[in-house]
Amino acid sequence: MVSKTEESQLRQLENQVENGGGGAWEYLSLVRKLKLRRSDKVLNHGLTLLNDPKKRSALGPDEWTLYEQVAIAALDCQCLDVAKDCIKVLQKKFPDSKRVGRLEAMLLEAKGSWAEAEKAYTSLLEDNALDQVISMRKVAMAKARGDILGAIDSLNKYLEIFMADHDAWRELAEIYLSLQMYKQAAFCYEELILAQPTIPLHHLAYAEVLYTIGGLENLQTAKKYYASTIELTGGKNTRALYGICLCTSAIAQLTKGKNNEDKEISRLAAASLEKDYKQISPDKVSLLGSALKIMKLQ
Amino acid sequence: MSNGGDCKYVIHQNAYIKLVLHALNHKTSAVNGVLLGRLSGEVVEITESVPLFHTSQIGLLPPLEIALITIEEYYSSQGLSIVGYFHANERFDDLELGSVARNIGDHIHRYFPQSAVLLLDNRKLGALRNKKDAAPIMQLYTRDSSKSWKQVESTGTSRLTTKEPSANIVLLDFISSNKWNEIVDFDDHLDDISKDWLNSGLFK
Repeated sequence: MVSKTEESQLRQLENQVENGGGGAWEYLSLVRKLKLRRSDKVLNHGLTLLNDPKKRSALGPDEWTLYEQVAIAALDCQCLDVAKDCIKVLQKKFPDSKRVGRLEAMLLEAKGSWAEAEKAYTSLLEDNALDQVISMRKVAMAKARGDILGAIDSLNKYLEIFMADHDAWRELAEIYLSLQMYKQAAFCYEELILAQPTIPLHHLAYAEVLYTIGGLENLQTAKKYYASTIELTGGKNTRALYGICLCTSAIAQLTKGKNNEDKEISRLAAASLEKDYKQISPDKVSLLGSALKIMKLQ
Repeated sequence: MSNGGDCKYVIHQNAYIKLVLHALNHKTSAVNGVLLGRLSGEVVEITESVPLFHTSQIGLLPPLEIALITIEEYYSSQGLSIVGYFHANERFDDLELGSVARNIGDHIHRYFPQSAVLLLDNRKLGALRNKKDAAPIMQLYTRDSSKSWKQVESTGTSRLTTKEPSANIVLLDFISSNKWNEIVDFDDHLDDISKDWLNSGLFK
């Protein structure tokens, strides 16, 4: 997950590089650090760097990191020849390297040679059973082949060993969501909240899933997690503000207005939304008003 | 007519292009959108579209409810209602209409019985440059009397057409100029309310 400062830094660098202002290596390093998927840009600018012998030698030992990064980006963009070339260079420099072996297996994956890739990954895992990246590739392959249930199975097995891998929990939650297995997704978000209680995105995702499952208790819990999201983000999360309004409306509908629900919080949320829209998106203020009215009437 | 049994669907160029560009803007995830228009006799005219979401949270209710309430409210003042749903799958070779799409389609169907569900056909998108075809690169699904979404085969006279016959040519043009970068969807709006999900400046 990327922080707001990191995001603006990235956008700035991206604009700079795209408009010929240099800074390609800084951009590529940031993309690597934040583990973002910007394959077309990485391929474009990375290749330019690599094809310039002066710039390439200026990188020193980082040159090989760049070859790896560009190879992966090339695979993502289906530029298999570029990827093959990069991998060849790395093979020459690091013969018998497991890390290069991984790239070779990824090339098989990109070609669609699933069985061969599977074999390659299995043999790599034999020597190093705890290699997280390779275990993840097997999950990714299952997903790419459309074997979603297989992916879920592999991911669950992976998490039994690497239960602190938050990205994996998030991936599993998202797979469950795509299959509408909401209760299982909720479980993943519960694990994430336990592990990283101050990350508002987990609270928000959990609230959204609970609301989707529905039922009075879930709606009331969802409201609490929307509230904690608002607290953790200093009231700046539009989705959570809307969420509070939706929960209040849905709870009122379910209980036919009979329970003593805390309406104050939804009034505050609505007011906060109105204030934000007036300031930032004034042409949509009246639309917001109508929407809020509809929710209260429901 | 109580169902989409024999309706024809005509989608206006801008609505059509917006949806495809949205999918191209988020190549690595599923995307969806809402279709707006009106019924004219036996033809459902899809005059507008709003790209909705691109995150994995496509299957979640709260953002969808907010979007539908807001969008319905906006377009009803123009005499338009929600007439269908658009979906593009995450994987290239996945041409199946998944459960999320079906469920959202069902919800829309309740309010507009002639509603359509359109699924992006990635193979046709990929072949667009080589094959000069005027047919929309989407599969059409309607709900028949069995209460499930069935694909309408595009043989003979197609039941889904673009209003402007050159829509695919214009689309190709936009693709080559990377126009998809400019598309704003409801997800973007929820993350930053200064972003306009109406995409009012897109085709100017």
